[in-house]
Amino acid sequence: MNTKIWVGINVLIIALGLVVVSGVVISDDDEHEGERYWHPSRLDVAPVDNAFYREECGACHFAYQPGWLPARSWQRLMGGLEDHFGENAELDAADVRRLTEYLTANAADRSNYKRSRGMVRSLYNDQVPLRISGTRYFKRKHHELPARMVRDNPEVRSFSNCDLCHTRAAQGSYNEHQVKVPGFAGWDD
Amino acid sequence: MKARALALMVALFAVPAMGAASAVDERLAAYRAAGAGPFSAEAGERLWQREVVRAVDGGARSCTTCHGRDLRRAGRHAKTGKPIEPLSPAVNAERLGSVKKIRKWFRRNCKWTWGRECTAQEKGDLLSFIRSR
Amino acid sequence: MNTSIAKFDHDAVGSRQTQAQRRWVKVWDPLVRVFHWSLVSAFFIAYFTEDELLDLHVYAGYLVGGLLVFRLIWGFVGGRHARFGDFVKPPREVWAYLKSIIAQHPRRYLGHNPAGGAMVIALLVSLVLTTVSGIAIYGAGESAGPLAASLSGVGDFWADVLEEVHEFFANLTLSLVFFHVLGVLIASLQHRENLVKSMVDGRKPVDEEGAS
Repeated sequence: MNTKIWVGINVLIIALGLVVVSGVVISDDDEHEGERYWHPSRLDVAPVDNAFYREECGACHFAYQPGWLPARSWQRLMGGLEDHFGENAELDAADVRRLTEYLTANAADRSNYKRSRGMVRSLYNDQVPLRISGTRYFKRKHHELPARMVRDNPEVRSFSNCDLCHTRAAQGSYNEHQVKVPGFAGWDD
Repeated sequence: MKARALALMVALFAVPAMGAASAVDERLAAYRAAGAGPFSAEAGERLWQREVVRAVDGGARSCTTCHGRDLRRAGRHAKTGKPIEPLSPAVNAERLGSVKKIRKWFRRNCKWTWGRECTAQEKGDLLSFIRSR
Repeated sequence: MNTSIAKFDHDAVGSRQTQAQRRWVKVWDPLVRVFHWSLVSAFFIAYFTEDELLDLHVYAGYLVGGLLVFRLIWGFVGGRHARFGDFVKPPREVWAYLKSIIAQHPRRYLGHNPAGGAMVIALLVSLVLTTVSGIAIYGAGESAGPLAASLSGVGDFWADVLEEVHEFFANLTLSLVFFHVLGVLIASLQHRENLVKSMVDGRKPVDEEGAS
């Protein structure tokens, strides 16, 4: 084969090889599994693996995964439990500390799951969102839904009730193909 | 030998039952030490249904708002709609079993419902009421 | 390029007896072949992972993009039959060739025939639009990738438009692939040769009739 072809082949192989190798090197770090750059996972956020959090913070509402908000948001929320969106959610100081540690350690800015990354990237550094459903990232993903499916739907009533429509929310999957809006059988995007 | 084994079994089965009662008893003892008592389930029921109007939005709240009047049935969180397991210990064995939980929920819910902490007398009456259902 | 004195016999090509007597000519250079099959893999990986395995989808998309850049350059400096000049023909020639396929006596080409050439261009255009719109929606919707800085502030309406455009061209590419495969099958049958194998080993039987 002539020289031109050989050079071309070598360049192509080296280029492809570099892409693959760098991807593997960057991602192959067991210690920081949640922080991998490359993270092909079907899940949107890391599922809740803390029973204490699930019990304490899932008693009144869906146990939102910490990966939905940045650490600073969780700090602020946990520092104001006496007025938790109009409710009193006070806890002992030791419990507050324990939960705050779990939340901040697994927050969106410490996670590599795809929605955590998308959420973080969509926020300005000085934004401290307290409501997941109030963030621009969330709204963009839900903006096509008519009021009759959520707000005016007596079986849903609020975007805060993730698991009423996202059938696998508790497992960390918010895949649009697994959504079933109560009262709207056969709805599809 | 048989009598001892029998006594042991009775004791073993009695322990869990005692456990359920003991959290409430501990609390009642603490309330008495603070000067409250005697406690009555009837007074507790009246407190249970007592409504307080919130200055913030004019809405009225009582314990029944979330837990309902019949403690044997499941309730619903007024805001999120999340189902709340029945409060009656006869129906739900997990209720009133932990001092920590009793304290936590009184602290939160009295403030949320009535806008203030409950007095020791009120807590004693309420516990007596819940336990009786 | 080899030439042979033996006459190219369409009917005999398929038979085993003449197999050993066949002369082969190199048509597809190694790079165009590696490009072709890498593109097949990358496209299908991207198509089937879509939003579910987003990281993998994006990587596959970048790979498609890189392959397209290579092909666009190679179309001007590459092997003879890889160059656009070899197979891009004016529309009337493409149309005439399609008619000759239906009439069952299409002329044989060593490189891409005019219809195949048109399909190459259609696929490249569709893939470029798919990739570019994909990078755009990645920037607008996930605030990631090279267009994140310029597009992450874009409103919901335009973000939706980009998403629809991306989906449209991805599906358009898939339809083109379907017709491409169909075309390859028909041409293989009409000329009694294995065109898929030719894209793997780069060789085609010599054609004394002067196919070029």
